[in-house]
Amino acid sequence: MAGNRNIFQKVLNAAIFILMEVAALNMISHNAALQNIWLSRGAHRIMGALWGTSESVRYYFSLRKQNEALAEENFDLRQQLLRAGKNLPVERPDSSAGAFTYIPAEISVISRNKQHNYMIINKGYEDGIQANSGIITGKGVIGIIDAVGKHHAYALTFMNTDVSISARLGSEGAVGPLVWDGLSSSGAILKEIPLQFKYEPGDTVYTSGYSSIFPSDIPLGIAGDSRIINGATNEIKVRLLQDFSALRYVTVVHNNNLEEMEALLQ
Amino acid sequence: MRKSSFFFVYALMVIAQILICNYFHLTSFVMLSILPVLVLCIPIRISTTGSLLIAFVTGFVVDLLAEGVLGLNTLALVPVGLIRIPLIRLVFGEDLISRNEDFSVRKYGFGKVTLAILIVQAVFLIIYILADGAGTRPIEFNAIRFGASLLAGYLLSLILIDTLAPDTRK
Repeated sequence: MAGNRNIFQKVLNAAIFILMEVAALNMISHNAALQNIWLSRGAHRIMGALWGTSESVRYYFSLRKQNEALAEENFDLRQQLLRAGKNLPVERPDSSAGAFTYIPAEISVISRNKQHNYMIINKGYEDGIQANSGIITGKGVIGIIDAVGKHHAYALTFMNTDVSISARLGSEGAVGPLVWDGLSSSGAILKEIPLQFKYEPGDTVYTSGYSSIFPSDIPLGIAGDSRIINGATNEIKVRLLQDFSALRYVTVVHNNNLEEMEALLQ
Repeated sequence: MRKSSFFFVYALMVIAQILICNYFHLTSFVMLSILPVLVLCIPIRISTTGSLLIAFVTGFVVDLLAEGVLGLNTLALVPVGLIRIPLIRLVFGEDLISRNEDFSVRKYGFGKVTLAILIVQAVFLIIYILADGAGTRPIEFNAIRFGASLLAGYLLSLILIDTLAPDTRK
């Protein structure tokens, strides 16, 4: 009770103090031109700072909306690029870009600290998502859809010791399986690269296209050091372009010819 | 000092301050003011709300009757009224507050009283000099004015402190 009275007294004193100071400032500004200009300038500066701060706060809270808009725009641009690509002379006869459908999605849940990591995206079969579709970003492969619900889908991420992606060193280099190194969110290993194949650390690693899930030529990472395994093949460290610790918006990619290809394999 | 006699002396000091403002212009570097020490010596039983009101009225009366910009003394003196009790608690200790006792040089020593006077003078002068200059005077001028006025105000306050806060011990 005494504490409450104390607080009330302090608030009252502060209010009286502010009131008196405002009254004094008002007297000064009405009786001296110089002080009036000085106080006006000060008031404008304070208003400017407050306005700037409130704008910064509002801008911060609008970032989510802006991110979503940018992801949508990014997706539209990618679609336009693909459509434009169909009308251009075909440089790579094996390009399968036209055979894929792309759907933008947002990650709802993602795990990063396990050996078998997973994610859940905010699109399901009502949005056209199908099992065995790939998940990509402009910086690499993110995972593979494993199960699909009405509005959400479950996927294994690339940070999973069971997931392997067919990758190629450089634009026309050797192909091998790329797997997560199991240590960091941006490390991978490109395996089974023949010894006779020469490469330079710093070469880009792409998806090979020898997969029914991912289109070719998606940049995945940068090649680093290598070591010889059993005297037969090279194992190359790869630094992934996409850092999984900063991931939110993705694109689901589905091969329209997947069923036909699987039927032929059977 | 009895409450009624304190306020009689207080009123005389306010008149003295008005006379100082109107007739004692030593130099543009020195601004003589005894108002901060007057507010500091308000009896301890008067609350912060009371000292805020007294400071406001005192500043306003001096502003009204003395030369200068109306509101300057009020603006600078009200913060002194606000910090009075916390400052006394900090410099002289909690005992003085709980016993409702007023301070004096003899009871609390020259050093503590000097510190309290310098703090209230400094608060008053910083606000007064900044508002009076209104951003038009160079910082060196303001610094010299602050230093000279602090010294002059402190010396004047020391002379008056025995009248405002006498030792009441028998």
